[in-house]
Amino acid sequence: MVVWPVDNKSVIEPLVKPESAAATRAWIPGPRLRIVISVVLLLHITALWVGPFSVPPTSVLADGLWRFFAPYLQAAYLNHGYHFFAPEPGPSHLVRYELAMRDGVRREGTFPNLKENWPRLLYHRHFMLTEFLNSLPDEPRTLREGYARAYAQHLLKEHDARRVTLYLRRHYIPRPREVLEGMKLSNPALYEERLLGSFARTE
Amino acid sequence: MKTVVAYFRELASQTLGGWNRFWFTPTDPATLGLIRLLAGAMLLYTHLVWTLDLEAFFGPDGWLPKSIVGPLREDQFAWSYLWLIESRWLLWAAHLAALVVFAMLCLGLFSRAVSVAAYFITVAYANRAVGSLFGLDQINALLAMYLMIGPSGAAFSVDRWLARRRAHGALAPAAPSVSANIAIRLIQVHMCIVYLFAGLSKLQGPSWWDGTAMWIALGNLEYQSLDMTWLVNWPMVIAVLTHVTVFWEVSYAALVWPRLTRPIVIVLAVPLHLGIAFCLGMVTFGLVMLFGNLAFVSPSLVRAMFDRRSTRAAMSAAAETTAPARPPRGMRARPTGASVTSSVRGQRTP
Repeated sequence: MVVWPVDNKSVIEPLVKPESAAATRAWIPGPRLRIVISVVLLLHITALWVGPFSVPPTSVLADGLWRFFAPYLQAAYLNHGYHFFAPEPGPSHLVRYELAMRDGVRREGTFPNLKENWPRLLYHRHFMLTEFLNSLPDEPRTLREGYARAYAQHLLKEHDARRVTLYLRRHYIPRPREVLEGMKLSNPALYEERLLGSFARTE
Repeated sequence: MKTVVAYFRELASQTLGGWNRFWFTPTDPATLGLIRLLAGAMLLYTHLVWTLDLEAFFGPDGWLPKSIVGPLREDQFAWSYLWLIESRWLLWAAHLAALVVFAMLCLGLFSRAVSVAAYFITVAYANRAVGSLFGLDQINALLAMYLMIGPSGAAFSVDRWLARRRAHGALAPAAPSVSANIAIRLIQVHMCIVYLFAGLSKLQGPSWWDGTAMWIALGNLEYQSLDMTWLVNWPMVIAVLTHVTVFWEVSYAALVWPRLTRPIVIVLAVPLHLGIAFCLGMVTFGLVMLFGNLAFVSPSLVRAMFDRRSTRAAMSAAAETTAPARPPRGMRARPTGASVTSSVRGQRTP
C-alpha cells in the first residue's frame, strides 16, 4: 500500500535519514547569488502572471505590463491566456471545401476529418487550423482572407485541382431538451455555413 | 508604535526566510527525473505526429506558409529557426535531429545538454506552427523550459544507469540539489497560474454559472471521443461536474500547498484530466497536464513507487548516518507555524 508522504515529514520513515545524509553533499548558493536568482525568479513569475492577465478586456496596468514583458513572453513561448473552454465551451468550426478538378469533376470534403486525420493529435492539429481561422478578427479582413487563401492553395496543390471554394461551418451544440427529444449531435439543422471565398490555383 | 515596527520586522524576516526555504532548499531530483521521462515521451510523440504531415504544416506549400504567418509575427519576438528553412531536405534533416533530441531527453542521455536543446526546439516548432496549436503545446513548452533548469537526468535516466555501471553498482542515491528544487518549484508555481486563470476566465461565462458548460463540452461532436450524451438524463450530475471543475481550478493555487489538502487536489486532477483525455479526445493534453501535476508529488513517494533499488539503498544506509542537512547560509530556522506556502521538500531533518 502506498502511503502519501507529507512535505518534510515523510511517513516512509526509512527514506528520511539517507536523504538527510545526502543533503549534506548539496551545493547551496551563497547570499549574493541567491539575491540574483531571486530577482530573476521574481521577474519570471511576474511575466507568467502578465501573460493571462493581459488577455482582453484589459486595464491600463495590464497593458503597460504587457508592453514591458511581451518580448520575453513571446520569445519564450509563454504568452498564453490559459482560457481553456472559457469563457464558455462553444460551437466548433470546420472548413468545407468544393474542388473543381482539372478534368471538370467536382469533389467535396471537410477538415478536420476523423477518417483522414489519424492519430487523434493530427486530427486536432487540423481542428485547430479551422478554429484559428474562426478566431481571427473580422478587421482587418486581409488577415482572415490571407489564411483562407493559404488553406485554399494547400488544398489545390494537395488535390491537384483547378479551383476551390471554402466555407466556414459552424456546428452548434443542441440544447439538452432537444437531445432528450431525439435530436442527434450531427443533425443538419445544427450547422451554419459562411462563404470564405473561391480561389484559383497560383503556381 | 513598537508593536507596528515589530510586526513589520517579523513580516520581513519570515517572508525572507520563507522565500529562502521555498526556493533554495535542496531536493531529491527523483520527481524531476520522472517528469523528464514522461514529458520527454510526450515531446517525442508530439513531434513524431508532426512527421506524418510535416511538409503540410512546416513546408512552403503547407497550410501555414511563411508569407501568411510571417506578417502576423513580424512585430513579435516569436523566433523560430524553422523560418529560415526553405529546402524540404533540410526541413526533414532538422526534424529528424529534433526527434533524436526528444528521444534522448526521454531516455535521459546527455540530459543536461539535451534538455536545453529540447526546450529551444519545442519553442521553435510552436512559434512556426501558429494556428495549429493548443494547450498541449503550451504545457509541453512549460515543462521543457523547467527541465533544462534542474538536473533532470539525475534519476530514471540512461545517464544515471551509465554512472552506476561505471561505479560498479556502488553509486549513492542522487544528491539533493537546489536547482532541482527551483525547477520543481517553478513547475508548481506555473501550474498554479495556469489553473487560476483557467478558472477565473470561466467565471465570465454564463454556462459555468448555470451548470450547463459541461454539457456543451460533452455535446461537441468534433471533440467527442466517448459518447457521454447519455448524461443528458442526469442534469444534476452535469451541474456538479461543471461547478466542481470551476471550483477546483480557482482554488487549486491555494489548496495545493497545505499538506492536508494537497492529496485531495492532486487526486481530483486525475479524473478531471482523464475525462478531458478520453471523453473530449485530447489524450495528449490530459496526460501532459497530469505530468505537470506530478511536481507536487514528493520525491520520496516517487522513489518508493518507481525506484526500489534506491529505496533499498536508502534503507540500508539509514542505519549508518544521522547527519543533519546543512541549511543554506543566512537561512533562518523554520519558525513554528510557518506559512503553508513555504512547505519544504527534500530537506530531511532527523
